[in-house]
Amino acid sequence: MRSVRLDYALRVFWGLLLVFLYAPLAVVVFFSFNSINSSARFAGFSLQWYERLFRNEAIVSALMNTVVLALASTLIAVVIGGLLGYGFYRYRLGRLSWLVWLIYLPVIMPDIVFGIAEMTFFVAINERLGILSPGLGTMVIAHVTFQVPFVALLVNARLLSLDPQLFEACHDLYAAPWQRARFFLLPVLRPAILSSFLLALTLSIDDFVISFFTAGPQSTTLPIYIWSAIKKGVTPEVNAIATLMIGSVLLVALFSLLAQHGSSGGKQSKGGTKA
Amino acid sequence: MTGHALARTASSIRIEAVTKSFEREVAALDSVTLDIEAGEFFTLLGPSGCGKTTLLRVLAGLEQPDSGRVEIGGRSMAGVPPHRRSVNTVFQSYALFPHRNVRQNIGFGLEMQGVPGAEIAERSQAIAELTGIGTLLDRDVAQLSGGQRQRVALARALVNEPDVLLLDEPLSALDAGLRAHLQLELKRLQRRLGMTFVFVTHDQEEAMVMSDRIAVLNAGRIAQVDTPQGVYEAPADLFVARFMGHENFVPIRQRDATGVDTAIGRLDGDFGGGTHLLLRPEAIRLDSDAREVPNRFMARVSERLYRGGMTEYRLDCGDIQLMASCANRGQPGHEVGETVEVGVSDRGTATLAD
Amino acid sequence: MSVLHRETRHMLFTVAPGALCIFVFLVLPSVYLVGMAFLTNGPYGLPTLPLSLQSFRELAGFGFLGWSPGNLYTLIRSVWQTLLATALVILLAYPAAYYISTRPARWRPLMLLVIVVPSWTNQVIRSVGWMNIFAPGTPVSDFAALLGLTAPQMGLFPSQFAVIVGLVYNFLPFMVLPLYAAFERLDTEQVEAAKDLFASPMAVFRHAVFPQTLPGLMAGTVLVAIPAFGMYVVTELLGGGKATMIGNLVARQFAQASNWPLGAAGAIIMIAVTLIGLKVLRDLGRRLSGDREVVL
Repeated sequence: MRSVRLDYALRVFWGLLLVFLYAPLAVVVFFSFNSINSSARFAGFSLQWYERLFRNEAIVSALMNTVVLALASTLIAVVIGGLLGYGFYRYRLGRLSWLVWLIYLPVIMPDIVFGIAEMTFFVAINERLGILSPGLGTMVIAHVTFQVPFVALLVNARLLSLDPQLFEACHDLYAAPWQRARFFLLPVLRPAILSSFLLALTLSIDDFVISFFTAGPQSTTLPIYIWSAIKKGVTPEVNAIATLMIGSVLLVALFSLLAQHGSSGGKQSKGGTKA
Repeated sequence: MTGHALARTASSIRIEAVTKSFEREVAALDSVTLDIEAGEFFTLLGPSGCGKTTLLRVLAGLEQPDSGRVEIGGRSMAGVPPHRRSVNTVFQSYALFPHRNVRQNIGFGLEMQGVPGAEIAERSQAIAELTGIGTLLDRDVAQLSGGQRQRVALARALVNEPDVLLLDEPLSALDAGLRAHLQLELKRLQRRLGMTFVFVTHDQEEAMVMSDRIAVLNAGRIAQVDTPQGVYEAPADLFVARFMGHENFVPIRQRDATGVDTAIGRLDGDFGGGTHLLLRPEAIRLDSDAREVPNRFMARVSERLYRGGMTEYRLDCGDIQLMASCANRGQPGHEVGETVEVGVSDRGTATLAD
Repeated sequence: MSVLHRETRHMLFTVAPGALCIFVFLVLPSVYLVGMAFLTNGPYGLPTLPLSLQSFRELAGFGFLGWSPGNLYTLIRSVWQTLLATALVILLAYPAAYYISTRPARWRPLMLLVIVVPSWTNQVIRSVGWMNIFAPGTPVSDFAALLGLTAPQMGLFPSQFAVIVGLVYNFLPFMVLPLYAAFERLDTEQVEAAKDLFASPMAVFRHAVFPQTLPGLMAGTVLVAIPAFGMYVVTELLGGGKATMIGNLVARQFAQASNWPLGAAGAIIMIAVTLIGLKVLRDLGRRLSGDREVVL
């Protein structure tokens, strides 16, 4: 049978694809435990790169910066972007239709162009007004600006997928505007807010270019640290730092999987427990 | 019923010269005036775009009229937002909250009004039993069938004991059998509660079955307000007649003291004023039955549709086609192509203006 | 009147923070960057008056020593590498998305997650992974040398090959997700109708499957090609001089060479090429779908 053969071929293909996707990560993790500085030969198990890493204050502060940047920018972006997505939904037919086009700007703008635009702008403002000197603050602003459109688009898409009569039903069933926000909008948007949180977090963690161009001397993040380590030709700790980042991403993935599983598995019983 | 019984609340509605237009459109409502009595099952009937849903939304407070007055229970509704009106709506799409189960959906309105939890539970239970969904209270709304959703939407509105219940084509998404069943159930419920129902539909049969009175709307204006019988048997104009399902219209050419000259010949009798004669299919007699009435002419059967209790014949009478329906009483009936004698009396006819 | 007032206040509260953020930190900097391209390069690499088209001339290759095609080659190479990488991504993503859509529903979220997780790590780290694999002396590099593809004791990077691998690796998920969404919505009755009407497997694919997945394919192409064209990290880490793309050229004007107007002019060219690419893609999509509008 043709389809059986096709299915078999696809199975093999899927296996190879997984190797392709995970080999680079696995190699990084594997060689981070190498006792010598090589990614060609594994000489023995060692934790020496990790020891060095935690003794290096520059790396520890880069770790802190990475976490602060990712969380701060994501939280701000979810609030601002969520409100914007809702505002667009409410007023999309009126005075704001032109703004929707601006929202797509970061989607079609290569990140390098965005990073450079931010950098030159911050420098220009800093020269004249003395504010916005490069550092964690400018990085957060740049990340938020990049994340907000994505959050707004996600929240907006969820609102557009809702039956518009639901809003009227709220109104009809005696919900004052604040009650509509509290008892209808927030619960109904919760999945969209969660996924936009994850997306914004991913955008921030994945980014190198925007951070690179907006960072100051005190606000080095882990990717920037790795970058300059590679450029300087010093690589030993790089695999160890990368492994830490891969590990935390896998943890987040596991967490989101459990959350997903929990929400779909608990759906049947949800009503009963809440009522 | 358990514990809490629904209070009998009913309010009259007065709509005075209400006009509403939207951008780029002609008036959706053009100076509509209407009185709806307390406890009445009142239907707004018309084709899509006639303004019936707009009128319903004006009553709900979801639209503000450009001009005119709306009073519910003698109180002016000007500037009163939907959440301050004792009016509830059953939406066409049902608009059940996807993040709440059946019980939480029904209790939403009471919760928003700050009714204590115990009372919400009691009233929700009572209304759920009344509407036949007592066993579904802990279901997710996504798991419900169309008919069940409809009942939840109804219960969610009724539980608030509104002065007026608005229903926006609540049965249009259901299949024919269920629809007929729910029509009856809704009608019974309304009688039992004595509540004022304002019902919107584009289905004239549904309107006739359910309503105490019907308002037929055409292009934002009220064409006729009457009982179902009045609207069907004495339509105010051609539009209403067509919309009520009539097909036999015969233009009147001349009129004198004893009768009228029409496209199908001279007819004697008292036919009133108007430009068209309306013949109800049941009022057209064939062959032996035809001999009992004064006006007779010949026609050819061009189509025959057997419908169980009766048979419908499409008749060619010169340029005009008529539809006759005859009760089946065991006779063989007429074949296609046969020429039959047709009789028409002044009973079962009406005359119409354009 | 008070109703209108409340509406306005509500609109301001919801829209203003985001709109302000986008206007001040996205629109203004973009406008500033565009303006900068028309200024002259000052003594410290910073833009000064007068207005001129100097940087565009320089970008086109006209320098002190006459015309050199280097920048033009970089632009052509950027387009070529983007097209190649996008094509390869489609070749990998299409069967992958189809395969996921044929698995039992409860496995699909996990399979999608497996595709997406690598992209949650950082761009730099993903490149570090490939640097590890392509380094001299690794099994992969030795194997390539054995086949005579590289000189012995040489790694597989820096090279154009490594850049293409890096690009495909980076953007594969962006293609799989929209394609999967298209496959999941696939109307199987169309496929059955095609079979019923004597279509061969190829014809079934061409007429019943491909048109239905075209919107997903278009969306994926936009998501892959735009960032691939602007790629900086992968080319910088995995590519040598022969694989640099326009993003590197632009960045260099701000990082090392200090010619901001020239870099700004390069950024404008990048945006312009991106917009042209979108237009071409749109026309192509319209043609492929038989003049039906494909929403991009």
